[in-house]
Amino acid sequence: MSINKIDPNKWVDKYSDYLFNFTIVRVNDRELANDLISETFLAGLKSMKNFKGEATERTWLISILKRKIIDHYRKSNSKKGKAEIKIHYNEDSNEGDWLEENAPDLLDKTAEDVMENEELGIAILDCMQQLTEKQAKIFKMKTIDGFETEAICNEFNITPSNLWVIIHRARTSLAQCLEKNWF
Amino acid sequence: MSYKKTLLIDCSEAAFCCDKAQYKEASVTEKLKMLLHIIYCKKCKKYSKNNVRLTELIEQSAIKTCTEEEKKAWKTKIEKESANQ
Repeated sequence: MSINKIDPNKWVDKYSDYLFNFTIVRVNDRELANDLISETFLAGLKSMKNFKGEATERTWLISILKRKIIDHYRKSNSKKGKAEIKIHYNEDSNEGDWLEENAPDLLDKTAEDVMENEELGIAILDCMQQLTEKQAKIFKMKTIDGFETEAICNEFNITPSNLWVIIHRARTSLAQCLEKNWF
Repeated sequence: MSYKKTLLIDCSEAAFCCDKAQYKEASVTEKLKMLLHIIYCKKCKKYSKNNVRLTELIEQSAIKTCTEEEKKAWKTKIEKESANQ
């Protein structure tokens, strides 16, 4: 098994979109997500020497990020001086069962949808790791950010047919990668 | 015989039309040519089906990307911190 190496100069290009999508579904605030990712990168730099290379760099960064997110919620909870979770249970009326009322409402699909979207998003970003850096960048600009073909061609100094070849390769590779679990 | 030349396309052109269609950039003629092609080409039919699915999945996933400014800010922070170490 090859030992994973660490290279902070590549972190932003390689992992920021992944870390960002991971964070934004959890904190739902762009600015805060940005701060948490900054903190993660800095904490990563500080503890680089502890990285044993057993996990991939990305898994390692995610584990730091998770801590940062938890810390954030802890801090915001302690500021209020009380826990966020409150249980409202009216003792006077015995309507319904306590446990049932506190169980997740199956008709309320939002939480589940969020989970599935997140899983899907992570799966897509995982598959994008197989693309070359240039392919991934162009594919994201075109597909996610919705840039015009011409704008991308100008930025990368390529012809439209170059662009479509890159898009085609990226799409083929992604479809193959996602086929097993998502098609 | 000229209609054959104009209407019948090969697999690579069909894929090209199909890709463009995913970004709503294919013309009516291009779409028509592609549809005609996948009637008899199983391989492209499969590609087209998967390609449409991929578009759906990406939309559904609502992936976001970081802006260049955000990336730049992180890079500067990392460089600064590395220099301090």
